[in-house]
Amino acid sequence: MKNEHHSLFKTLTRRHLFQQVGSGIGGLALASLLRQSGWGSDLLDGASSPSPRMDDQDKVPHASHFPARAKNIIYIHLVGAPSHLDLYDFKPQLQQRNGQLCPDEFFEGKQLAFIRKQPMLLGTPQDKEFEFTKCGTSGIELSNLLPHLQQVADELTLIRSTHTDQFNHAPAQMMMLTGFERFGRPSIGAWTSYGLGSENQNLPGFVVLVTGQVLGAGNSAWGSGFLPTVHQGVEFRSKGDPVLFLSNPGGVDDASRKRTVDVINRLNARQLLDLQDPEIATRIRQYELAYRMQTSVPELMDINSETKQTHEMYGTSPGKESFANHCLLARRLVERGVRFVQLFDQGWDMHNSVSNRLPTKCKQVDRPIAALIRDLKQRGMLDETLVVWSSEFGRTPMGQTNNGAGQATNVGRDHHKEAFTTWMAGGGVKKGFVYGKTDELGYGVVEDPMHVHDFNATLMHLLGIDHEQLTFKFQGRAYRLTDVAGVVAKKIMA
Amino acid sequence: MLNMVHFPLTLGLAFFLVPFAALSEEVDFEKQVKPILTRKCAECHGGKQREGGLRFNDRHDALSELDSGGFAIVAGAPADGSLLSRVTSQDESDRMPPEGERLSPAEIEVIQRWIAEGAKWPDQSSAKHWAYIAPKRPPLPAAAENNWLHNEIDHFVARRAADIGLPHSAEESSARLIRRVSLALTGIPPTVEQVKSYLADSSEGKFERFVDACLASPRYGERWAQPWLDLARYADSNGFQADQLRASWAYRDWVIQSINRDQPFDQFTVEQLAGDLIPNATMDQKIATGFHRTVTCNVEAGVHPEENRINQIFDRVNTTGAAFLGTTLECCQCHNHKYDPFTQDDYYRFFAFFNNTPLEVKLTSGVSYDFYGPSMELQLDKKTALRRKTLEDRLADLNRLKADQKQAARGKLKQLKSKLNAEIKKSVTWQPLAVVEFQTASGETHEILADQSILVGGSLPGTTSYSVKGHSGLPRITAFRLEVLTHEALPGTGPGRGDVKRPNFILSEFQASMKKRGDKTGTPDSLLFVNTIADFSQKNWEIEKAIDGDQKTGWAIGPKFFEDHWAVFQLDHPVSLPDPETEIHFQLDQNYGRGRTIGRFRLLATSDDVATLGVPDEIKEILALGKTTKAQNKKLDAFLETLDPESAQLSKQIAQLQKELAKTQPPTTLVMQEMDQQRETFKLIRGNYLDPGKKVPPGVPSILHPFDEQLPRNRLGLAQWMVDPANPLIARVAVNRWWANFFGRGLMASGEDFGTQSEPASHPELLDWLAVELMENGWSRKHVHKLIVMSATFRQSSKLNQASRNRDPDNRWITRGPRFRMPAEMIRDNGLAISGLLSAKMGGPPIMPFQPPNIWRTVGRNGPKWQAAQDDDRFRRGVYVVWRRAAPYPSFVTFDAPDRAACVIERPRTNTPLQALALLNDQAFLEMAAGLAVSVSRQVDSDELRPQIRQAMQRCVARIPEQEEIDVLFELYQSELKRFQETPGTAKKFLNGCLSPQQQSQEMENHLAALTMVCNVLLNLDETINY
Repeated sequence: MKNEHHSLFKTLTRRHLFQQVGSGIGGLALASLLRQSGWGSDLLDGASSPSPRMDDQDKVPHASHFPARAKNIIYIHLVGAPSHLDLYDFKPQLQQRNGQLCPDEFFEGKQLAFIRKQPMLLGTPQDKEFEFTKCGTSGIELSNLLPHLQQVADELTLIRSTHTDQFNHAPAQMMMLTGFERFGRPSIGAWTSYGLGSENQNLPGFVVLVTGQVLGAGNSAWGSGFLPTVHQGVEFRSKGDPVLFLSNPGGVDDASRKRTVDVINRLNARQLLDLQDPEIATRIRQYELAYRMQTSVPELMDINSETKQTHEMYGTSPGKESFANHCLLARRLVERGVRFVQLFDQGWDMHNSVSNRLPTKCKQVDRPIAALIRDLKQRGMLDETLVVWSSEFGRTPMGQTNNGAGQATNVGRDHHKEAFTTWMAGGGVKKGFVYGKTDELGYGVVEDPMHVHDFNATLMHLLGIDHEQLTFKFQGRAYRLTDVAGVVAKKIMA
Repeated sequence: MLNMVHFPLTLGLAFFLVPFAALSEEVDFEKQVKPILTRKCAECHGGKQREGGLRFNDRHDALSELDSGGFAIVAGAPADGSLLSRVTSQDESDRMPPEGERLSPAEIEVIQRWIAEGAKWPDQSSAKHWAYIAPKRPPLPAAAENNWLHNEIDHFVARRAADIGLPHSAEESSARLIRRVSLALTGIPPTVEQVKSYLADSSEGKFERFVDACLASPRYGERWAQPWLDLARYADSNGFQADQLRASWAYRDWVIQSINRDQPFDQFTVEQLAGDLIPNATMDQKIATGFHRTVTCNVEAGVHPEENRINQIFDRVNTTGAAFLGTTLECCQCHNHKYDPFTQDDYYRFFAFFNNTPLEVKLTSGVSYDFYGPSMELQLDKKTALRRKTLEDRLADLNRLKADQKQAARGKLKQLKSKLNAEIKKSVTWQPLAVVEFQTASGETHEILADQSILVGGSLPGTTSYSVKGHSGLPRITAFRLEVLTHEALPGTGPGRGDVKRPNFILSEFQASMKKRGDKTGTPDSLLFVNTIADFSQKNWEIEKAIDGDQKTGWAIGPKFFEDHWAVFQLDHPVSLPDPETEIHFQLDQNYGRGRTIGRFRLLATSDDVATLGVPDEIKEILALGKTTKAQNKKLDAFLETLDPESAQLSKQIAQLQKELAKTQPPTTLVMQEMDQQRETFKLIRGNYLDPGKKVPPGVPSILHPFDEQLPRNRLGLAQWMVDPANPLIARVAVNRWWANFFGRGLMASGEDFGTQSEPASHPELLDWLAVELMENGWSRKHVHKLIVMSATFRQSSKLNQASRNRDPDNRWITRGPRFRMPAEMIRDNGLAISGLLSAKMGGPPIMPFQPPNIWRTVGRNGPKWQAAQDDDRFRRGVYVVWRRAAPYPSFVTFDAPDRAACVIERPRTNTPLQALALLNDQAFLEMAAGLAVSVSRQVDSDELRPQIRQAMQRCVARIPEQEEIDVLFELYQSELKRFQETPGTAKKFLNGCLSPQQQSQEMENHLAALTMVCNVLLNLDETINY
């Protein structure tokens, strides 16, 4: 294969290629042109990979280790960490003992971010708004703060036994999202892109949508660490350019851009012939791709084309930056083959006034997330798309009544690493299932613990990746997402 | 590094089965064979493991009969043993190793040659991995092509190439060559004039002269600082939540200067690790220790300072290991190293050297932790220092004067008190204004109550502004009074509207205006206030701030909610109103946000002469006291000042001076500093700081050279140990990293790992030769760099051919010149230089060039704001761009720059569509395109267009462009020109985005716009961003 074009290569004149490449953009792509000319495939082989991907030239395992249960992930991270106790893990005992001093072992020798003296237990308010309801046929108990999610409860696998090692936001976010509490490691989305690549030639394999401010871990939350940077999450924005530098500058129209890219590629093709460096062939392809993205991305981001019914279901309004819009965009991204979509929603860090603030935040996310699950299901996509609810940790069953300065505040909950609830829905997990259990006060895990590494190992498994096999050699060591740990929770698989 | 292409093994093997009579040099068992056996085989066939009867502990073991009968290795007969067939087997169940990475074709070739040569295995095979034995200078291998060789480097390269059977490439064309050298050494391309005169120069040694000029250029340090700063994880912010900026740019400048003056690499190392501990350390030596103060720091509210400190030391240890030893120590935080001979004890002994600096997180106020720790004031330049001295002197004078005045005022306190009491009693008649018109900026409703107060209702806006028109009926006005009142209809009764519990308001600005006499139509004149006073002001929200012209400050009343308040504004001179019905306009701006707006208020005026504006309740209370506190005295003084304009004037002068003085505040930089009391170090079980094990003293890894007992057991001792010529790693690691910067890959492909698991070096002898060369030439970086660029190896053409494409796509054997994409900063610098915009200004605080909006929007505190520079700073080199870890400069990120949160030895090099988009559309690059267009259309004398385009292209690629290329560009120029001509206004619109507005003819505008489009293309060329 490699040798058969060599003689043809010699006969192809520079001028010949030069003239042909000129019609590349929008018409015949360079790759096929070169192949048609009978010599190029060998030049391009160094630059292309078996399936079309953003990162043509990189060494990628590209390996499903076993059949994938989910093709895509929509991973929703609630930044700041919502109270699992008031949403997903109802504790009547905690309500009864509300206001009592917490057991010594909840406090002594424990790492707490703000609470400095032995605190009181804090039950979920005994208030209609905060009541839990057994939902659907599965009878999963969910808070009335999540009325829409209650209606799709039968799709969820609730994991009430998630736990982590970190109790401060930025380190815990990195722990959850990169498997390590300090900087420098690739994020779970980057690992996925590295392992599986992207299915859409015109879009990155890992897209990030941020509602509100960027979280404490910053770009590292979706960074590529030591993996090639093509695997880092690409942020799609609701304000300004949806992808940085996507739009043409003022005074440059599409036809003009087509012309310029065309000229760039013609001149690059000359260099390719002269120097025969496959990197140049890759660059030519990337300019074609960039040009196509200028059309495909705005089309993707424009939700005006969605039906009224869809907008009502999600609570979306075109042109606004909202979590609801991001949920709808997540579906559109997955539809177009983006492997890993990550949504961040800021504002869940409720050290005070949890009873006032939680309902407000829930209203922002409950409806669109439920709509997303419904929508995916209606379109037959839920079976191969995994929707994930997660956060960096949970919140204490103890009340926090002071801020860091020691001043009294309305009661809230502190950071809690011992136990919290996450959930998954769709692609390969059981429907209407609860995994793991916390003690009667919701402090610690008593059954089926799911450490962050286990959680990540399970996500990888659902994507068809063996988390122990997907490694990258760096600094003399084969690194992986789950460090040296991680057990796949087989029990939650459908 | 990322372009590893794996041959199908059959092909690879076929190629390597060349007659090895041609391969004249013997395989080096220690450096070439043993590492392969260790990495790929030892897990099952080493130590105590002897699977299938095969073990590679020594030659006897390796050549013994297998359990299955037969042999793995038959000395001299590669085909007779099973080893080669097993490692090349296509049958997955048969191939070795059964898991993990296969042997590369190069490794297979080494094994095969080694067996063929008799499987030589020295009896005294060192137990040590080659990299832990100090390098010795190897003899120069004889090379056949003497006329090709320029220097020693070429001997080694030529020998390997001959062994492999690949021919070297011809020398690169002159223009391309000096472009390559210039970019590699200075990060800046040669100018067209430089290329011209180089080509015209026919004298001996012109290349060397060009190289010397590059090495002497201050641009050299700026270019070579970048890889070092990646490794030193230098950034301008803390990282984590609350990613605030911090000042350590003096360290960045130190790196640039140090490289420019070719500070010997051993000193460069010692000063960064322990400059503070050098006896009589200079300021520069202390600045150098910023190297280890660049570590990230978590200051979020729940942080545990001790945990943060331990994490920082982990980082210092790991970075020291990676940067100077090419060794991953990190694994030993929790357990002994799995592969390399480093133990957990080694780790914590090393750790102990760094365990003696103070905490860097401090609880500063209430909830806030702050980044803390030693920082040092930098020296001011002479001019600023002089100015600072003058200001200080003047301030001292004024303060003395002030003190005297205060003294006098205090003396007269009794007198004043009685005067005040009289003031208090004196009644001022306030006349409520009849409201004629009320409007709000944000659509609230309102009601005018019987007492002429206005009650605001309806929807609660974030911010608002009230506009009131009214008249007092007075013929003369000396002051206004604003009463802010409670009302039952307001949340919590007010007086603010925003919150039941804290019904505060913030009055950002209070303004009054009046039309001149007889003027019916013109705009009203602003009335000036000379003084203001309120019955109460919230801390930091004093009433003066409502008339300071600053919308960000204002008057508020927390925590005295639920009660009425007043403020009086005295006019600078009394106004007479011939018509008492003259309308007075008031504007009450309330811009704080979140509905902190006034719920009910009333405006009044007086014509009484008021010596004082009234005495606030607070002052009355203080006056009634026998003894007063410091804070009360301060308030009293402030009030007395309102009675004494001269004193007020003096205070203003002092405040002004203080402001100016603050501007001459010496900048600071972060430095290392030892604590007086040595901390004890304990081994941390599984790396957990809450779980200390046994105590360990400071010490170095036992596998490396010993620690000289004469050296102090502190960081300085460690630094001196580090640069001991007996150190087997430091020089190899340094030269390898430089090599990688010149050639796109190191002699050791894994620059961050020289351990037993690393891929063997492509040219192990050359690596050692260069390492010794560095040490024996005063650790001179420039010496080694010069050797490298002067070599024939570096000067080869980078063209690939059939053979090299197939057999050595990664250029591992360096039979062609380097060619790879520039690092992010160089893409910027190159573009700026080409366009003629580049500013040569060096050093100083980080700069903010153009970046798209909404990049800096991270959580935490009052995040810094991005304010794009409008002056020359906009066009300075990438090394000076502010590096914020949570959100680094976006176009740099696009071109693989790291976030600098952790040590990075080698950046990845990718090729993506996002890079195309950045070069096409980023305003920063469009400005460069416009700059290039402007400068060629000015500089080229001829009116002809082609020469302009040719000039522009030559600036980008150095070589003389070919006619065909110019034709294509010219064609583009014409179609773009036509487009701009046909749609008027487009050219202006386009140019406004990338050029500061200037007056020019329509014709010129269209021409420039079209030429800018052409330049945009040129700056996007693969050739422009590669070198």
